[in-house]
Amino acid sequence: MVSKTEETQLNRLENQVDNGGGGAWEYLCLVRKLKVRRSEKVLKHGLSILNDPKKRSALGPEEWTLYEQVAIAAMDCQCLDVAKDCIKVLMKKFPESKRVGRLNGMLLEAKGSWAEAEKAYSSLLEDSPLDQVIHKRRISMAKAQGNISEAIELLNKYLEIFMADHEAWRELAELHVSLQMYKQAAFCYEELILSQPTVPLYHLAYADVLYTLGGLENLQTAQKYYASTIDLTGGKNTRALFGICLCTSAIAQVSKGRNKEDKESPELQSLAATALEKDYKQRAADKLDLLTRALRSLKN
Amino acid sequence: MAEDLVLDTAIRDWVLIPLSVVMVLIGILRYFVSKLMRSFQTPDPKIVKEGHFLFCRQVIVRARNLRAAANFITPKSFRSRRVYFSNEENGLLFVPKGQAQNLQAQMFSDPNMAMDMMKKNLSMIIPQTLTFAWVNFFFSGFVAAKIPFPLTQRFRSMLQNGIDLSTVDVSYVSSRSWYFLNLFGLRGLFSLILGEENATDDTQRMMQMSGFGFDPSKSLSAEKDGLDIVQHEWALPKFEHRAEAVLKKLVS
Repeated sequence: MVSKTEETQLNRLENQVDNGGGGAWEYLCLVRKLKVRRSEKVLKHGLSILNDPKKRSALGPEEWTLYEQVAIAAMDCQCLDVAKDCIKVLMKKFPESKRVGRLNGMLLEAKGSWAEAEKAYSSLLEDSPLDQVIHKRRISMAKAQGNISEAIELLNKYLEIFMADHEAWRELAELHVSLQMYKQAAFCYEELILSQPTVPLYHLAYADVLYTLGGLENLQTAQKYYASTIDLTGGKNTRALFGICLCTSAIAQVSKGRNKEDKESPELQSLAATALEKDYKQRAADKLDLLTRALRSLKN
Repeated sequence: MAEDLVLDTAIRDWVLIPLSVVMVLIGILRYFVSKLMRSFQTPDPKIVKEGHFLFCRQVIVRARNLRAAANFITPKSFRSRRVYFSNEENGLLFVPKGQAQNLQAQMFSDPNMAMDMMKKNLSMIIPQTLTFAWVNFFFSGFVAAKIPFPLTQRFRSMLQNGIDLSTVDVSYVSSRSWYFLNLFGLRGLFSLILGEENATDDTQRMMQMSGFGFDPSKSLSAEKDGLDIVQHEWALPKFEHRAEAVLKKLVS
């Protein structure tokens, strides 16, 4: 995840380069380091450097990394001829390279020839079965073709080996949610919470999934995780506040008729409601009416 | 018996400095030779081994995360994960006793590995032996230098090997000790000249060699023990109270 300082730095460089000031190369390096997806800008500025022979020779050996970056950005923007040219240059320089082979596979993917791309990737995998990027490309190919269950299967196999890759767990969680396999998604989110316990995003997503699953125990756990999200974000996360209100009312509905278990934090719901109202008053005063009505209906 | 021996400056010119220069040159030579040898070596098809190591490293990272953040997930999920890892039959961290030994034996019997280690050993030992023999042959039988701090008599046999007088102060040492001093001391100089990765770092390489074989099985069982010890105490209820406090402050 990109930190705030990095983000401001990136935006500053972007503005500078867009308005004609220099610094295109630093911008491209920063984009590459942070792995941000700004393909149009990368394409525009990268090409401006590559097409100018003086600037190109000033780069030295970094020129080839720039070719790779521009090729990927071109594929993202569907400028396939630009991508093909860049890859041709790279192939001439590095004829037996696996990295260039990977780019070729990506080009086939971008063109839409799935079968050939699959063949290219499998042959690359035979040579180096531990290449993470190629595995991920295969998974994203399956996903792009709409074959989500196969994507899930491939991703599971990938995670059996590379189980410390938390981005892969996140992808798997989202795939499960898209197929409504909530129990499995909950497991993935637990993995994410384990690897990065202080990121509120994962607590929130986990709580959402638990709330969707339903059932008294899940609802109570969901409430706790909404609370932890509130704690981690200092009370500013609107979704978590709503989550608390919804959870409390859902729990009340489910346990209607059973003996009420002593609620550990009865104030939480009223506090959340008040915080929500305050927030709405500040930021969207015209919707405050809707909010109060909704909250009132929840309480009943 | 602290007499002050006056050492000829010729000793400094013809013994100390040439010895250091020769050792530096030999170190540089060794570095280039090892680079050459490495470029000749084709990448071994040790992919299966490497895959196994990679897998073990990932398992260890995941198990460590589980231990560190155990209190953030529900007790049920923690327990199911713990079983998954430390299960007696097919748990990820469970390494049967026989297999642990096997790995090491396998290391040494695999011909490729053995050749590799032998080559590394040779490139380390031969120059050392040759230089040592050379020093002994040419530079023995006289006092080479004086150590600035006093030493006890126990060091006499180590430092004064060529000198056959037993009354000379132990601070006066032979050139053999100068050789050893250079051997360990020039490491810093080499990292300056040759960059970080140089083959002259013998002590580091020795540590690497011993750590290589045991890496998976020992750390796996260490992680398993650590995981078995963990007492799960669910931290989430505490968070509810904290959230209440945060909201109270926000609302008021």
